[in-house]
Amino acid sequence: MSAPAARRTWTGLAYLLLALPLDVVAALVLLAGGLLGAALLITPLGLWVLALVLRAANGLGGWRRGLAARLLGEQVPAPPRPQDRGGVLRWRRAVLTDPAGWRAFAYAMAKLPVSVLSLFAGTLGYVYGLTALTYFPLQEHRFGSWGLALARWLTGLALLVLAPWLLRPVLNVERMLIRGLLGPSRAAQRITELRETRDRAVIDADATLRRIERDLHDGAQARLIGVGMHLTMARELLAAEASPERLRAEIDTARAALTEAVAELRDLVRGIHPPVLDRGLAAALATVTAGSALPVTTTVELARRPPPAVESMVYFTACELLTNANRHSGARSVEMSLSFDDEILRLRVRDDGRGGAHPRPGGGLAGLAERVRTVDGRLVIDSPAGGPTTVTVEIPGPAPAERR
Amino acid sequence: MRIVIAEDSAILREGLAQLLAVRGHDILAAVADADALLDAVTREPPDVAIIDIRLPPGHTDEGLRAAIRLRRDNPGVGVLIFSQYVETAFVAELLAGGSEGVGYLLKERVVELDDFVDALHRIAAGGTALDPDVVTQLVGRSRHRDQLAELTAREREVLALMAQGRTNTAVAAALRVTERAVEKHVTNIFTKFGLAPSDTDHRRVLAVIRYLQG
Repeated sequence: MSAPAARRTWTGLAYLLLALPLDVVAALVLLAGGLLGAALLITPLGLWVLALVLRAANGLGGWRRGLAARLLGEQVPAPPRPQDRGGVLRWRRAVLTDPAGWRAFAYAMAKLPVSVLSLFAGTLGYVYGLTALTYFPLQEHRFGSWGLALARWLTGLALLVLAPWLLRPVLNVERMLIRGLLGPSRAAQRITELRETRDRAVIDADATLRRIERDLHDGAQARLIGVGMHLTMARELLAAEASPERLRAEIDTARAALTEAVAELRDLVRGIHPPVLDRGLAAALATVTAGSALPVTTTVELARRPPPAVESMVYFTACELLTNANRHSGARSVEMSLSFDDEILRLRVRDDGRGGAHPRPGGGLAGLAERVRTVDGRLVIDSPAGGPTTVTVEIPGPAPAERR
Repeated sequence: MRIVIAEDSAILREGLAQLLAVRGHDILAAVADADALLDAVTREPPDVAIIDIRLPPGHTDEGLRAAIRLRRDNPGVGVLIFSQYVETAFVAELLAGGSEGVGYLLKERVVELDDFVDALHRIAAGGTALDPDVVTQLVGRSRHRDQLAELTAREREVLALMAQGRTNTAVAAALRVTERAVEKHVTNIFTKFGLAPSDTDHRRVLAVIRYLQG
């Protein structure tokens, strides 16, 4: 019941009071400008007037986004700006073809009826409420009875208390309009999202290549040079007629180093593309779970094989989730399920550990979520303190390249 | 020879130290990073410092930076860059301070221990030792393709060995010809490149490298 005095009630009211006169004036001016521009379309002047109207609508929209952010706490990003480099004709073209301008114009028009609504709600709640409340003590003689006066006083009080609830739907409509018409369009939001996930994919690919280079440089390549050194040493010992034991020891060291180099190469290959994945996710996941310290129950239901890139992503995601469960959860068992019903590929890893898992910026889970986003998938973590932890990864069916 | 080794991989550091010790050389220090290298050299200057390009902490070109600094502060110490890959940009940077007493060899060249030790001796004596791959890359990227095309097959072989830093005697031995014949090829190469003939082995390597880089 603290709503009547709450800060957001007053900022909301301030917003409506500021917006109301401006909205009416802006809508009328823009409407007049729009009509004038349309009428003038038979002359070259029409397009210029329309462009100016749209530019003004856009400017007002920007100002309105700022006001909404400050007073309503409604953070709406600006729509992408069109490129209008060089030349007034290009500027006119850019303004006329920019959907943001038209949407801002639509916002101004839509605000006319909404302003009437907010005027009505505000007047009923605050003006009438306040009047009813203050009439009584000053002009009691005008009322027939004390009872009627009291009823009127109580009505005023009730209206004042209820005013925030009267204004709330008005403000909600306003929020909706700002989000829908002054923010970036759905297509623009999609572009932003695609740009982010593409950048992420490029950075990921680069980091992977660097890691592989580093692993090869410091691992197998160095070991193989080491093998060469030991064999050279063996030759030196042979030339110096050293004891067979020394010679054998040197050759054994070379053999051991060679075995390690081969093992490192095998691990590296598995990290790039595990050969078992060629036989499908079920076989690949069976290999992974067989190597897990925790007992894993696996259910795989695949109506058909997902595209290779998705298989690979699901495989490495499953590996990492399983590693997390093994390392951090303190669980005693893990359930892994994988299903693909032509629409959505769903991987679910559930452990009975202590829970409390959440993505940290730069952490493993956050990285997984980012990677899954690059194929329009999502990763949901349900991990209340005390467990259990369930991580669900959902990836839309067809490969990104096939989807249009 | 007295040698200091800077190599972060323990396997390679120890392997190299053992091989050189077997050949009777003194390993004054075998360290894993650039600071320790500079300390060791200051404490007791060696004849040659063998330096891995990638050293901690960044594993990028710390070794090369240290080598350049070492050459500036201790001109008497020969420097061999010891790397797992050939990067001509690094070679150019290394040679910018002159070609006396420097070398750049791939790590696997150690397997030919005679050649490797020979290269170390050359560097210690103020000569040059460039990896055959370095020379191949320099020739491949050179803008003087027309002049290179004028060389005979034999002259190209001589050029490659000369650019590696070998003396006339060594070139003659490698190609199984007389020193007199090598001298003739060298004169021809310098004439075709339009370079003034150089008397010493050191200077002619630099002349050839500069020419190929140009």
